[in-house]
Amino acid sequence: MASTRTLAFEIGTEEIPAFDLKNATVQLPGLMAEALDAVRVPHGDVIVYSSPRRLIAVVDAVADQTEALDEVFRGPSAKIAFDADGNPTKAAIGFARGKGLGVDALERREVDGVEYVFASRHVDAQRTAELLPGVLRGVIEGISWPKSCRWGTTREVFTRPVRWIVALLDDEVVPVEFAGLTAGNLTWGHRFLAPGPHEVPTADELVSVVEAACVVPSQEAREERIRAGVAAAEAATGYRAELPAKTLTEVVNLSEFPTVMMGSFDEEFLRVPEEIIVDAMLMHQRYFPLYDGDGKLTNKFIIVSNGDPAQEAVIVDGNERVVAARLYDAKFFYDEDLKRPLEAYVERLDEVVFQETLGTMRAKTDRVARLAALLVEQAQVADDVAADVARAALLAKADLVTNAVIEFTSVQGVMGSYYAAAAGESPRVARAIAEHYRPRFAGDAVPSDEVGRLVALADKLDTICGLFAVGQAPTGSSDPFALRRAALGIIAILETGLPVSLSRAVDDALAVYAEAGLDFDVAAVRAQVIEFFTTREKVLLREEGAAADAIDAVLATGVAEPMVLAARVRALESARAAEADTFEDLAVAFARANNLRDPEAGTACDPSLFTAEEAALAEAVDAAEASVAAALAADDYAAALAQLAALRAPIDAFFEATMIMDEDLALRANRLRLLNRFVGVFASLADFGLMSKK
Amino acid sequence: MPTEMPRSDAPAEQPPTFQDVIMNLQRYWADQGCVILQPYDNEVGAGTNAPATTLRALGPDTWRTAYVQGCRRPTDGRYGENPNRLQFYYQFQVLIKPSPANIQDLYLGSLEAIGIDVAAHDVRFVEDDWESPTLGAWGLGWEVWIDGMEVTQFTYFQQVGGFECDPVPVEIAYGLERLTMFVQGVDSVYDIVWSRGADGVTFTYGDVYLENEREYSKFNFEVADTDFLFQEFTDREAECLRTLEAGLPLPAYDSVLKCCHAFNLLDARGVISATERMAYILRVRTLAKACCASYMEHVVGMRLDAPEGAEGKGADRG
Repeated sequence: MASTRTLAFEIGTEEIPAFDLKNATVQLPGLMAEALDAVRVPHGDVIVYSSPRRLIAVVDAVADQTEALDEVFRGPSAKIAFDADGNPTKAAIGFARGKGLGVDALERREVDGVEYVFASRHVDAQRTAELLPGVLRGVIEGISWPKSCRWGTTREVFTRPVRWIVALLDDEVVPVEFAGLTAGNLTWGHRFLAPGPHEVPTADELVSVVEAACVVPSQEAREERIRAGVAAAEAATGYRAELPAKTLTEVVNLSEFPTVMMGSFDEEFLRVPEEIIVDAMLMHQRYFPLYDGDGKLTNKFIIVSNGDPAQEAVIVDGNERVVAARLYDAKFFYDEDLKRPLEAYVERLDEVVFQETLGTMRAKTDRVARLAALLVEQAQVADDVAADVARAALLAKADLVTNAVIEFTSVQGVMGSYYAAAAGESPRVARAIAEHYRPRFAGDAVPSDEVGRLVALADKLDTICGLFAVGQAPTGSSDPFALRRAALGIIAILETGLPVSLSRAVDDALAVYAEAGLDFDVAAVRAQVIEFFTTREKVLLREEGAAADAIDAVLATGVAEPMVLAARVRALESARAAEADTFEDLAVAFARANNLRDPEAGTACDPSLFTAEEAALAEAVDAAEASVAAALAADDYAAALAQLAALRAPIDAFFEATMIMDEDLALRANRLRLLNRFVGVFASLADFGLMSKK
Repeated sequence: MPTEMPRSDAPAEQPPTFQDVIMNLQRYWADQGCVILQPYDNEVGAGTNAPATTLRALGPDTWRTAYVQGCRRPTDGRYGENPNRLQFYYQFQVLIKPSPANIQDLYLGSLEAIGIDVAAHDVRFVEDDWESPTLGAWGLGWEVWIDGMEVTQFTYFQQVGGFECDPVPVEIAYGLERLTMFVQGVDSVYDIVWSRGADGVTFTYGDVYLENEREYSKFNFEVADTDFLFQEFTDREAECLRTLEAGLPLPAYDSVLKCCHAFNLLDARGVISATERMAYILRVRTLAKACCASYMEHVVGMRLDAPEGAEGKGADRG
């Protein structure tokens, strides 16, 4: 084995966007390992480092050279490889070319009495240092980015311009070329604290040279540094910081040398709804807000700086001015918005497009109000609830045209709720306006009461039905209107026990669109929407551990309501778990009966032809039919399932003792009728044939 | 008129005035070989929209320019009552094609030139990609923050008017008011010191522009004649197409700018519904793309086989 060396590779760039950087650090180890493997360079682990201005891969134990390789390939038989005159055929020429050889280099050898042509190839051992320029260029080109940037006069692309490359095999520079650059042994440090250039003596020292130049070269280390700073700020104030994952990722990848600092703003701004303040700080400035012991927002916030820690006072002062300006704007907008009651904004919703064909938010508001009224009828809620639903549905979107929401989009709903309360709307209406966007993501809370739930349901269902009606249903990768999330939201709301039939609600929503003059194929869209919900519910059930065959067995009975599907699958799964043998046995028996059954034969059995086993089965089927029907009438699917167990012994005995396809056609027909009745008992419960392990 | 001294740690040394900032930037970029243009004499929403950027970003030739540009954004008017928002404000625009390898350092040098010690602040390049639906243009870059304040847009143009930029120009657009507020440490745009005479006479931004903001806010939101503006849009659209038929992209582009401004005023008057909005943007884009195509044909001298979405390949021109 040749000796090994360390490979250090750094792509130095202008500032890489935070999420692109995160993605690239995930891609890089595999890309580097594959690129080395492809040229057969043995190597050790690939460790990746990163900062906003660099991607680094360090590979240890990289072999000095590849091993020489002798390969022998068997080609076509000599009969095929040479024509009658002994000249090589196209097959032989093609085979030789495929191995990089001339046809003259082919040898003929006999294997098991048949003569074949063989190609032998020798690859010399190669110096890794000579292979690396091509390998490393391939790695640069192999990283995929959401958007590719060109710069200057070169044609190469990267996420942002590449400005330097370091490539070292121990102390030997690997002259990788890319976009007019040639790799060397000079790196650059933090833009202001230690710009450089800094010479890297050997590959093993790249990371320490970068670290010495005020760069914390890994996401984990930067995050740790930030969390430690935040913890110190929390300890100093007794407050608690909120670090949402998305903002944290951005902040981690927005600095090479993060330092946590604390700023504050005038307490007067705390009169502005805290959601706007938080939006201004998190979304716009990537500051972390601090909350007091009661969870109330304070006027202190955390800044993660990339600047010189010694300049803290100057940096904090600048950031405080920015916050003050933004909060001044927020307060200005809030005060302006409050000058009119929330209802006054409803008319202006005709300035906001919901969807090109489906019209404006004003039109959507009308539809949602109408649909909400129909849902209220279904749910049979109390009159005061119905009145609040109507009011909240009318006002739900009004805040979209207020200044505060135009400026701070994440506070939609919340602002409407403040404005509603200020205009004297009932607390339940105000809360419903804030909560009707919920649940906004998996695991988010559903609206806290019936009013919010009914408005949320109407809003989401209107969106789903409308977009399906205009052919904008989500495709595999594209769901621009987040319809899947809306459907999951509706399912979560129905899970609270809201007494609403989804299929009836879908009919209502489509009827509202038809009334409004939208031209579409109602039956086709209805089927698509129901299927869309069924698919979502299936995914949810699979995620909670239900078996695919149980879901399919229940679906086969034509269940269209997600809640019914869920309840039945859960009951079926738990019944099956409790009595595994019985269910397996019944499934096998069902499958057998189902294969034999002949719908033509009907169900009118002649008891006078029954054997003892047949009579026993007929009696059990009679009893089960009655008890299953009674249980289903009482909406007790679990009890209905339990009735099936009583069929196990009689059906087993029946199959054991009876020759179904008797030569006596009258007996045969009577037995088939009995099987039809047996299968019929299951029809409304589940297709047990799908649960048979056969 | 004497104005209260802005907050300053070193009272002996006055921070640069608004016009100092402008003149220092002009000097700095002139030293980098830029053509210092004077503001374009037509209404534009951003320095990018001036022909010295939009049209000259196209084609293979080297181009370097820097200029101040007054920008009109009618919907941003606040009647002079908001300290941070204006319907007319100034950008300092730099366009260099091809983008130099040391452009970030050159930019940081320009901040030093107006008195900002970049090492003593937190200067950051924060991802902010740029797209102009009306110009059919997009680019990749950042907004530059100083201590959390956005002061500059920094963009590598990838496409303009539907044509691929080759070589790639870099655009640097400074918000002059923001930058000067930062340099002078004032909290209201109207408190910016615009000029300071040797005799101590000082003019503030408010002295120069407060009345302008009040009147134009009222005009933009309440007074501008919408029938006239709708007609202007249609007339200018026709004039643009007629001018293009004569093979004159530069004057044709003036009509695009007029259409844009008429549209912006109509928007501020609140008479463009959301559905119409997209249709107007598309009409402007069609004109802007046609001007770019005409520029590629008549000025750059490139034959175009496919007018729509064609990519201008960088054939060398002597």
